[in-house]
Parts: sequence; structure tokens; C-alpha cells
Amino acid sequence: MSAVAAKPAAGGAINWTAMAVGIVMFLILMGICYYIYPTGLMPLFLIVVGGVLIGFGVHFVPVGGAPAAMGQAPGIATGVAMLAAGGGLAGLFGGAWAAAAGQDALVVVITGGIGGGLMMAITCMMVNFVYVFGMGIPAASGKVANDPITGDSQVEYKSQGTEGHGLPFISFVGGVIGGLFAGAGGTLIYLELLEVYKAALPGVMQITAAQVLPIAVSAAGMFAVGMFLVNAVLTAYNITGTIEGPHDPKFKRWPRSVVASAVASALCGLVAILIVAL
Amino acid sequence: MEHIVFGIGITALTGALATVAGAAEDTESNIGSQGDPNSQVQLAPQMGFLHRIFNKAVAGEPPAYGLWCCLGAGLAWAFMAMQFNAVLAIVLGSVLAVFVQGVYATTAYVGRTASLSKFGQPIYVDILKSMTTVTMAHAFIAIFATVAICQLINGALGHPFPLPLLGLVWGIALGAAGSATGNPYYGKERQYQNQKFGAGVPISASGNIVRYAEAGERNSIDNGWFTAKIGGSASGICFGMIVFLELWRTVLFEQVAAGWGAIVVGVLMILVFTVIDRYIEVWARKTYGPYTEAKEASS
Amino acid sequence: MTVKVEVIEGGIPHNKIMIAGIVSTLVCLYLTYLNVLTSTEMFSFFGGLAVIAALIWGSHTIKVLCSYGIGTGVPSAGMIAFGSGVIAMLLATKFGIMAPIVAAVLAAVIGFILGYVSNNILNMKIPAMVQSLTEMAVVGALTLMGFAALMTGRFTFDALTTGHVTVLGMSLLTHQQSFIGGCLIAVAFLLGAIAIQHPFNACLGPGWQQDRMLMLTAECGFLSMIMAAVMSFALISTGSAIISLIIAIIGWAYTYKEYMVLSKRDAAAWLDAKPIPEVEGH
Repeated sequence: MSAVAAKPAAGGAINWTAMAVGIVMFLILMGICYYIYPTGLMPLFLIVVGGVLIGFGVHFVPVGGAPAAMGQAPGIATGVAMLAAGGGLAGLFGGAWAAAAGQDALVVVITGGIGGGLMMAITCMMVNFVYVFGMGIPAASGKVANDPITGDSQVEYKSQGTEGHGLPFISFVGGVIGGLFAGAGGTLIYLELLEVYKAALPGVMQITAAQVLPIAVSAAGMFAVGMFLVNAVLTAYNITGTIEGPHDPKFKRWPRSVVASAVASALCGLVAILIVAL
Repeated sequence: MEHIVFGIGITALTGALATVAGAAEDTESNIGSQGDPNSQVQLAPQMGFLHRIFNKAVAGEPPAYGLWCCLGAGLAWAFMAMQFNAVLAIVLGSVLAVFVQGVYATTAYVGRTASLSKFGQPIYVDILKSMTTVTMAHAFIAIFATVAICQLINGALGHPFPLPLLGLVWGIALGAAGSATGNPYYGKERQYQNQKFGAGVPISASGNIVRYAEAGERNSIDNGWFTAKIGGSASGICFGMIVFLELWRTVLFEQVAAGWGAIVVGVLMILVFTVIDRYIEVWARKTYGPYTEAKEASS
Repeated sequence: MTVKVEVIEGGIPHNKIMIAGIVSTLVCLYLTYLNVLTSTEMFSFFGGLAVIAALIWGSHTIKVLCSYGIGTGVPSAGMIAFGSGVIAMLLATKFGIMAPIVAAVLAAVIGFILGYVSNNILNMKIPAMVQSLTEMAVVGALTLMGFAALMTGRFTFDALTTGHVTVLGMSLLTHQQSFIGGCLIAVAFLLGAIAIQHPFNACLGPGWQQDRMLMLTAECGFLSMIMAAVMSFALISTGSAIISLIIAIIGWAYTYKEYMVLSKRDAAAWLDAKPIPEVEGH
């Protein structure tokens, strides 16, 4: 059985039955949490919000895959899940630091977002730097005739035989927005799990709050990384590997990813919260 | 005040270490040929272009470097828990992590090439013997510098994450930054050096990588020599700026306006980089000009 | 254009590998319970053997899944396996002696739901997706539990979150020097995630052979076991750690040599310092 023939094209179609089943599963998971551990309901909801932010945000990040490494397609020449993980984890790093400094929850989440956005901004700028000054290739998109933000025409700046190259301005902005959402989402998951563990683990393990802090931080951090990767990989499945940015037609598939991330985050978040409930 | 001065000093040191780490990471991944450009090295024999390039198919750079740096940090943590000196612990941890990297590199090369036996691509044992140690040496620099950054962030600047988790975070960030910046340069400029400069590689040329070049039959050390000049330096500056600016804005402005100071500075930095990027894009359009006339352009 | 992936049939069928994998992993995990019964940590190395059994099973599952051309890379499959497995594993450790079985069941539920979501909501529509993601989540959870048992000697929540530190000759209870507190679970996570996807990724191509891939999985497993054994020196007694280390080194040396032998068997040519062979027309 040849690989290519076995898989029909995923396409952008929305399977409404499955979406409804997904929403029902999400509500059931929230219900289970309410039944077993009511104080965990608000944190679980916020964890789902964080997961959806990650899943949605990763759609903005311009990823070109293997063709981008040859200047054949626009975008960054790295895998989408791991590029998003790089940006989001840099944001999580900053957010965790702000949380440890005792800042307000809103400040922590926004700090995480800014950390991710900053990392993506620097990376995207250096990508264009290398394309322009190292390889002599201007940025051009293959999916639109004019850049939606700046109005620059794209077609005549695309070299022959390629689908475009580099990062046109819309892709740059997409990358920064993706980093913002991913960093904020990851930090939100981390913050909520940290609060749940700091509050409940001292009672469960019969130790003081100060002693439980390393465990709470490590467990919350590890789970945030794990859920980040699950959501990012689900988005990678949704866009089938490459996307040019928010102007790409594949971007319209985002509703599927929101439902998928909601279900996955609710499931993983519920299991993570049950550690202190059972 | 002294606290902030100490913090700035540590930040400057981590920025310098990060620049070295980024440059070493990119050069290592080009000598080993890892990540997206490696798809061309794998494709070439299928199109009939046999070669002597090291084919290191070990995931992509972010997860691979996530593993080496997290492993190095975990081993360093374990050694420090056994009361080893911190610097010795980091060195030993990096040595063991590099051993793992070298083993993965050899098994990847041998495995992929053996699976391409149908196209006649031989396994070159001398390539295995000469490239592996070079790529391990570059990886050691990258891993050591990154684990040192993590130790400084955890020990000197007081970040709550333990050393292995910081190693995971910064290892993946290092791989992502180095891969994003350095991969197109290696893929387009060096692998397809025979294509016209200043344009992307046309799809019809896929697989036709350069195999005979300035020093006879090209091997991966030639590639590393070439890409270290621009690709390596750009990756180093990229990762160095990421680490330095992230730490700088936090150390200086975290206590200003209950955390909003750091956020405002971060937003300003993002705007500065947006302006720089736009300038680069417009400069390229004006200086290089279009490939064809606007009206006659065909997609 | 990327490497064409063609499924080559032959070798041991996947279901046999799956059943052998799950049985041997659970058996090895329960053999570490001998630590509790004998109040030592000498049997921790069974945790490493559990890791290798789970990885062999998991790498074959990845081969089944990725042969369908999922459109994104092989490493992502490893990441989603361990991302879902780590959460299941930690909750399961709260169930005392039932921990490995609870981990398998819980991870299977999580993997099944993720598989349903991927196949139906995200419209991947790959025949093997649901079963593969279920299996991979179980592999992820059991591999992490194996690493935990190797590094700490136990697989229960209390043992993973407490450790000892010697101050002025006295042994004090601490939470920072533990498997979870020091976040060694992150190292185990990445060791497993790279080890599970590497064998298929590295043996990808028209000349794929099952025995070569599985030998590579065993080699990756033993290599990870070496590193985990070195880290276990900080958490368990020196003697037990040395036992794990020696077993891991011997296993790694054997499987690495065998892997090279198998690769030499399959390669087009095994040349030393020879030029590129001439191919017509190029």
C-alpha cells in the first residue's frame, strides 16, 4: 500500500457532527470536574482558554517547512509545532518569572505573551535579514497578489519556479501575533496549575507551603510544556504542516482547531487537577 | 541598586554565552545537515545525485537541542546534587550529553543511507569517522553555553524553574531560533550554490545539490566552513538578542509600575523590530527590484 | 518534494509487537516493586528494561501511523505521545501498587479521545490514527513511569516527590532533590520523546527493514538508560545505580554493534574513503 494513495486529502471541510460531539465531550469534562472537585472548575476553564489561545495562535505563525529552506516557499524553515513551542516556551519563561515575583495574574499572562511575541519578532526579523543580505532574495508571498497590510504587490517579486520566499510583512505580523497568543496561553495554563497546586498540595502531602513550592513549580511547568506540545501538534495536524500566515486560505480552518484544543486541554487539565483531588 | 547592577552584569554574560551558543548550534546543524535542508540531502540519491554529505536525520533542531540541553542540564543538576563543583558539573553534563548526540548522529546517518540502498547511495565510513567528532565538538560548545545560561538564570538571577526545565525551555528556543535563521542560508546558498544567486531554487532543480566543488568532492565540513560566516553569525546574534533582551527588560523593569514597566518595554522592543524588518523589506524591494515587470508577471 | 514513504510489508505483525510490548513493560515495572518488598533499590534497573520494551512497541506504532503520510513530521507524533502521557503518568502514581495499570488505562482513554479529535474534528481521516494515538499515549505514560522507577526505585507519588539531602552528616527529607522537585521528569520526557521517534525517522526510506529499526530502538533505549542511570546516582544508593549503569552500558554496546552489522547488511555499499560512484546521466 503506497503512502500517498492511502490518505485522502484532509481539505478544509468542517465535520459538523464531530464538532458537536467535541463540544459535548468538553461539557462532560467540565461537568466531571464540577462533580469531583468544584474549586477546580474555574482553573480548568482558564486552562481551556489557555489551550485554545495556543491552538489558535499557532495558526498565525508562518511556517514553510522543507521548501522554505530552499527559498521555494515563504515562511520559516522549521516545523510548526516546535517553532511555536520555542516562542511559547520563551514566553512561559518570562511569565513564570513574573509569577514568582508575585505580580498580578493579568500582568503575568501579558508578560508571558510579550516574551513569546518578542522572541518571534527577533527571529522573524533575522530570517528576513538573512534572506535579504545573505542571499539577495526579497520577500514575496505566493498566496496573495498584494500584501493585506502594506499593499505591496507580491507577484513580480517571486522568483521563477518558486511559490514565494522570505517573510512578507503580513507573515511577520502573523508570527508576532502567534508568539503573543502562544506565550500568553502557555503562561495561563502554568499559572492556573501553579495556583491549584500551591493551594491544595500542602494538605494532600502534609507539608508546608514553602516546602511544596519546588514540586508545585516543577509539576505545573512540566504540564504546561506537555499541554503546549499537545495543542501545537494538534494545530500542526489541522494545517497539515505548512502555512504562510493569517492571509493563507488554510487559516480559515481555525474553528476546527479551537474545538480540538478545547477538548484536549479540558481533558489534560482535568487529569492534572485531579492529582490534588483524588 | 547593587542588585540591579549585579543583574545587568549577569544578563550581559548570558547574552554573550547565548550568542556563542546560537552560532555553534547553527554551524553544528549545518555540518551534520539536520532539519529541513536535510530533506534535500535525502532526496538527492532518489533523483540520481549520489553524494558524500553527512545525513543526520535526528528530528528537527528544536526537539534535538531541547533534548541535548535538557539532558546536559539534568546531568549537571544530578552532579551538583552530589556536591560536585558547579562548573565541573556543567562540563561533565555537557560531555555526556554530547556523547548521546554523537551516537544519535551516527545511527541516523547509517540508518537513512542504508534505507536508500535501492538508489545506490553508499555508506561512507570515512565520512562517519571524520564528521562525527567535528559535529560533536560544535554541539558541545552550544550545549555547554546553554546549560551555563540556565545555571546563571536559576542560580544568580533567581528564576523559579529548576535547571532541567530551564534546559528544556532554552534548548527548544535555541533550536528554533538557530534553525529559523540558519536553515535557508544552508539550504539555498550552499546546497544549491550552482543555482543563480538572488533567487529561490526552482522546483525543477530539486535534489540537484552541489556534490563536486572547490575542494574536490564536497563534504559537510566544507558546508560548515561556508555557513559559519553568515548563517552561524546571524543565528548567534538572533539567539543572543532573544536571551539578552528578555532578561534585560525583566531585570531592569520588573519592579516598575508593578510589572507593567517590563510589558511596556517589551511592546516597544517589538515595535522597534517591526520597524527594522519593514525597513529591510522595503530596502530589498527598492535595491533589488522585481524579477519581472509588474504587468507581465506570471505566477 | 520530500522522501517518498512506501510501506514495506513483512516482519512481525504490529499486534504481536503491541501485546508483547504491553505485557513485558508491565511485568518489568512490577518487578521494580521488589524494591519495596526487599527495602532496597537494587531492582531499579527493571525500570530501564520497561522503558526499552515500551519504546520498541512505540516505535513500531509510529511506523504504522507515519506510513500513511500525515503531512507533518515524525517527531510531532513522539511529542504528542509524551505530552499526553506525562499527565496520565503523574495522576496514576497516586494509586500505589496499581499505578502502572492505572497509567495504562488512563493514558489509553486520553489517547483515544485525542485520536478521535484528530481524525474527526481535524479531519485527518487516517485509518490507523485512533488506535495509534491510543497506543502512543500508553507508551508515553509507561515509559515515563519506567524512567521514574529507574531513577528513584519506586513508582508512587510520595517517592517521586521526596528525596534526601545530607547536611552535616544528617540525612534530611527534602522536596527539591526529587524526581519531580528537580524536574528530572523533563529530562525523561525528552529522552523518551526523541528515542521513540528516532528509529522510524532514521530508518525511513524504501529500504526499511523491521529488524534493523527495532534493533535501533533497543539501542536508543539502552542509551537513554545509561543517562538516566547516571542521573539516578543523585537519588538512589550508589550500588543500585552502578548495577543499572553496568546493565545499560553492556546492553547499549551490544545493540549498537548489532545495529551497525544490520546496516552494513542492508547498505548499497560500505566504502571507506572512496569517491562518489558514477551514475549514468548525472
